[in-house]
This record gives sequence, structure tokens and C-alpha cells, in this order.
Amino acid sequence: MVRKLKKYFILVLALSAFQQVFAQHDSPVVAKTSPGKTEESVSTVLNINNKEGIFNSVASFTFDVKNTYNSQQEGTVSYFITDEKGVKVKTLSKPVKIGQKSAERYSFEIPALKTGFYKLNMMINVSDYDDTTRRAFGIRADEIKSAYPKPADFDAFWKSAKADLAKVKPQFKVTEDVSQNTDNRRVFLIEMKSLDNLTIRGWMTIPKNSNKNKQFSVLLGLPGYQVSLQPIVGRDDDLAIITLNTRGQGNSRDVIHTERDAFISYNIEDKDKYVMRGVIMDCVRAVDFIYSRKELRHDQVLATGGSMGGYLAIALAALDKRVTICSAQNPILSDVHNLTGSVEWPIKDIRKYVAGKPGVTFEQVMHNMEYYDTKNFATNVTCPILLGLGLLDPYVPPANGFAVYNSLNTDKKVMVFKDLGHEVSQKYKDYEGAWMRDTFGLF
Amino acid sequence: MDYFKDTPMDKNMTQNKKLFKYLLAVVILMAFAPRNSYADGFPVRPGRFILSPSVSYFFANKQYDSTSHRRAFDNNGRFHSVNYAFYSEYGISRKFTLSALVPYSMNYFNTDSITHAITTSGLQDIEIGLKYYLANINYKYYFSIKATGIIPTYRNNASLGYGYYGSELKLAFAGSGHLFGKQSYFVAENAVREYFGSESVFQDRYNLTYGLTLDKKFKEQLSISIGGFYATSGNSMINPNPIISANPNTSKNFAFNQVSASYGHAFTKNLSLFLTGGTFITGRNTGAGSSVSASLNYRLDTR
Repeated sequence: MVRKLKKYFILVLALSAFQQVFAQHDSPVVAKTSPGKTEESVSTVLNINNKEGIFNSVASFTFDVKNTYNSQQEGTVSYFITDEKGVKVKTLSKPVKIGQKSAERYSFEIPALKTGFYKLNMMINVSDYDDTTRRAFGIRADEIKSAYPKPADFDAFWKSAKADLAKVKPQFKVTEDVSQNTDNRRVFLIEMKSLDNLTIRGWMTIPKNSNKNKQFSVLLGLPGYQVSLQPIVGRDDDLAIITLNTRGQGNSRDVIHTERDAFISYNIEDKDKYVMRGVIMDCVRAVDFIYSRKELRHDQVLATGGSMGGYLAIALAALDKRVTICSAQNPILSDVHNLTGSVEWPIKDIRKYVAGKPGVTFEQVMHNMEYYDTKNFATNVTCPILLGLGLLDPYVPPANGFAVYNSLNTDKKVMVFKDLGHEVSQKYKDYEGAWMRDTFGLF
Repeated sequence: MDYFKDTPMDKNMTQNKKLFKYLLAVVILMAFAPRNSYADGFPVRPGRFILSPSVSYFFANKQYDSTSHRRAFDNNGRFHSVNYAFYSEYGISRKFTLSALVPYSMNYFNTDSITHAITTSGLQDIEIGLKYYLANINYKYYFSIKATGIIPTYRNNASLGYGYYGSELKLAFAGSGHLFGKQSYFVAENAVREYFGSESVFQDRYNLTYGLTLDKKFKEQLSISIGGFYATSGNSMINPNPIISANPNTSKNFAFNQVSASYGHAFTKNLSLFLTGGTFITGRNTGAGSSVSASLNYRLDTR
């Protein structure tokens, strides 16, 4: 599973050299085409008939089939709808005939579905073409609530963690890396001591400015799972950009340096020693760092990230009120109990870890994870927050994402991308930037 | 889970930043000769000064009469006006912007029947404004409201202005986006203005501007505008003195619509020059003229 992820990372990393990778369309979906002859094909487009793929009552979708063969295509068009755990909800199969060089549209409406998200598999099996297209849709997503309560001592647990962090002298260190400076930005390696006295590193880039008293708004970028963050440079002359490599990642792997798959489970059997406790405190320490710098604005801090970075952004905003605004894309570990049966990762890796630890049970670990559940952090967020979700996300099922969103009791906005998986589109990034600039008055 | 690598965030932030570069353009002088007018709409960065000295020249050898017919002045009359103005804005906070306008005018009227031109010159009405950023739609379209106080700097000189204190309320709507593959912006605004005095004057002023950048570095910009004044007063008499009646700044019952085009060039990210030309297309009780203007726009961030 994680190997598959790795391939995905490599692919996206490679593609990210080109701007287009982040300008993915959220609608309409690019047609799927049968392989083989270029001049003759069957192509299909499955469209959920709502911009965000969420309905109040009746779900509807259309399936467009285009036949460029010189022969009629005969067979069936079928759908198979399941809930997020794969339990069958509804199926339908209808015979179809698509004339030579013609197109057909098949429209479907599904009434009386319960609140939640559903997976839709649309199959076509005709003379010269077989294919399945997968989409998802939701019903009354704003009513989705987690079925699992927040631990009564959740706040006390994190208060204790912050108290432990406070005992560690930060010993901030800032070293200019002249070799990475650009014509308009200076690049600094930043180091600090965090929980358990681990050294945490990251990068800070600051626009060159003749005003020595200039204070910059701060973008604090938090890392995805096992991603090594590098300095971010560019043409922006308003933002200081800090990219943090939390423990066990990037250039902060002195003590914790697990195999990639093992990181998520590191010490998970003990909630007081679980790696994420330190990781989250590393983020708090990064805010301490921001507050220690006079060239940084302490009242304008955006915490942002995707995947694990989105998770950390929400956790940080919940635990540290010094964060001004928060942007979280596809946050992992959302409604953790409800991940079981819905996703392979991280459940599979956690089970594998538990299997190798005599005396540790999966249930015990999942209980520990309640203290690390995104939706439990969400209830404590008070700053404005932007959340991005993909309905086809294999690690953050949309119902889990909405359990987080609906737990937020603050100024909030969710952007849903019905045709995307574990990612958001350029539209999100544009909105995020404009929102941040407006909030910080960077007109 | 490829999140937060390197280039994307930087690229995005830069892209969003570009939208706001238009602010350089939207503070441009509208050559509503001989009175300067300044487009509002977008909010101003807190701590930012915008300083804009300008000069404009207005010439009219025709006038619109009370029935909106365009005809030459008697005896080949010619009205010229040169106007110098200093306009400044300061972003007090994210929501509030302070502005000030200090105009100085030199007016001339000449005919074939007089040996010496009639001339007047002097400071006109100082305007102090406070703009409030009301709201936005998806951070692309902005609404603002601006209250302005008008303070005459002269006494008993009808060729420079009404000599009344006044106030103005302006609503502005502005936005930016892509069109024809280029970054573009628009500003739509309307202001109502009342001068308080024995012959109080009510004015409605509107302006619509559309502009676009010509290059990817945002150095060259073009804009077109249409705008106009409508003024009415308890005293509906037309002043027989042509240096007053020809001047849209001093007439009390008049109206006009003007079209203008502006070219802007950014020397640096903080210094731009705008050249504007405009002409009246309709009017009533005012000179029928054309104008050209030049304004510098300098930004200074103090925070």
C-alpha cells in the first residue's frame, strides 16, 4: 500500500516541476477512452450532477458514452453504489445500444439515501469496450457527525504535553545558507530544541528588503507524511516562509529515523510516547520560534499543509492560539475509529505494527489514537480555517473529512473537489492565497 | 501525500499577489477636467502611502447649452484650464484608508473680442476622505464606501469653486480576473455630493473603468473609462461669465459624460506613470472639451 503511495509521490513530484500538475480540473472529468485504434474508440464521462458532489436528498449523475466505431456497441451500463465501507447500497444494470459513430447519455437519480457519502462504480460492458469509472457523492454532508466521542481528558492530555515542551529550552539557532539565497530572498536553516530535547530543523526564507525594521507575515508550512521540506523561495516579497521538518522527517531525523511505513506507528502503543505527540509539539515550538523573531509578524501566522501537514495544521491551531489562520488540505487521522474498514492506510500499517508487539491490541492503539484524532482537535480551533477535501481521497474518506469540518466551531469554509483524491486543485491554492492576503491586509 | 514540497506554494502565493498589483493602476487619475477624480474600490494595504502628483490640461472651444446642443463659444471663445493636484492615500488599517486631495487650478478664457484673456488661479477645494472596505466576494470583487469632506480654500472666487463646504459619499465596486488571456480589472463607482450654502449644489458622479495589463510583468497597462457628473442647484441660473459657465468645476447646473483612455507604465514596483486622455461626449450647460493628464503614482510601505 505504502509502496503504491511512494510511486504516487514520485509521480507527482516529477510532475510538479510543471505548473499544470496543480492546475487540475475538478470538473468536468476528462473522458476515458478505449485503448487501441486512435480513430475508433468508446469514451465515457461520469459526472455527479452537483458542483461539489453533495446533495440534500436525491443524488443524480449522468454517464455519457461516445462511440466512434463504425459499428454499433451493444451491452450494458451498470452502477454499483456502496457506502464508504464497501457495503452494497444499490445496483442497477440496463441494456444499451449505442449506434455507430454516435453518443448516448444515461441519467440516473437515487432517492432516499441516508446521510453520508457513497462510492459509485459505473460500469460499461459493450461490444468493444469494458470499463469501470469510480466517483463518490454525499447526502446532507453538513449533518455528518462522528459516532465516537472525544476523550474527557483530551484537553488535559495536551495541556500536559505543552507543559513538558515548555520545560525544554528552545535554543533557537538561525544560520544563513548563502548558497541557497536567491536574488530576492535569503535562506536560513533554523534549528530548535523540542519535546524530549530533540533537535528540530526547518527552513526560513525572507524577502530581501532595505527596511531593516520590516516585519513579515508568516506562512508556516507543515510537512506531509515523510516528506523532506526544502526552503521555499520565489518572487513574493511580503511573506516569510517557514517550512518545518518535524521529528523523523527531512533534516530532523537525528534520533527518530524510522522506515517510511513504520513512522505512523512509532510508539503508538503508549499515547504519552507516540511519535505524533512530539511532532505536534514540534509545530508548537515552531510558533515559539516565530515569536522569538522580531522580523516576523506575530499577529499574522498562517499554518498550512496537506495530508499529514493538514492534520498538523489543525492540531496546531487547536493547541496554539497564536496561529492566526489555518489552512488544512486532506487532513489524515480524521475520525480515526471510522477509518477502520474504509481505508487501507494507515490502518494496515498500524495493524502490522500491533501484530509485532505482543500484549498490544488494536483496540488499545485506537483508543490512544483518540487523543490524536483530527476531529477532536477541530473542536478546539478558534481561528478562521479553510479545509480542502477530495471525494475520492483514499486516506481521508469524505465522511471523515466532514466529521472534522462539522466539529469546527469557528469561522470555517470547506472546498470540496468531487473528482480529486488526496489532493486539492489550483482553485484551492488560489483561494487560500487570496484569503490569507486579505486577512493579513497584504493588498 | 505529496504535500508541501517546494514550488507549488510559492507559485500560488506569487500568483495571488499579482492580483493586487493592479492597485497601482486603480488609483489612477480620472481626467474629469478640470477637476481630478480618483478611482476607489480596492482596499489599501495598512501602512502604505500612495502619493500621486498630477497635472492635467483641459481645453474647450465649444459648449453644451441648456438643451445639450453643442455649439461654439461666442466670438471664438476658448477655455483652458491647467490643474495641478496632489492626491494621497494612507492605509490606516485593513479596513480604513485615509485620503487627501489638494488641487490647484489655473483657468483662462479668451475670445477674439477681448485683448486680454480672463484668468483666474488658486487653490481649490481640499478633500479629505475616509474609505471603508465593506466586503468582498471570494477575494476577487471588493466593495467599499468612502466619505469625503470638502473644504474650500478661497473666498468669493466663483471661478475656483462654489466656496461651500461639502460632503460626498461614494460607493465603489472593483474586481480583477482574467479576460482574453490577460489580467484585467474593473472599477465601478458612484458618488453623491452635496455642497452646503445659500445655493446648495447636489452632484452625482459616476465612473466605470476597465483595464488590463499588456505584459506578464505587469509593467504596461491600458484602461478605458466612462464617467460623468450631474449637478443641480436651487439656483438654476447659468452664470454669464464664461470662465465660470464653461468650467465643470464651477457651474451649478450642468451635466456631462466623458470617455477616457489611460496608459500606465510601471518604472519600478512602487513607481508608475499614467497618461490619460479624455473627451466629453454629451453635456449640458458646460464646456465641451477634451483633456489630457499625467500622474505619477508612488507607493511607500511603512510597515
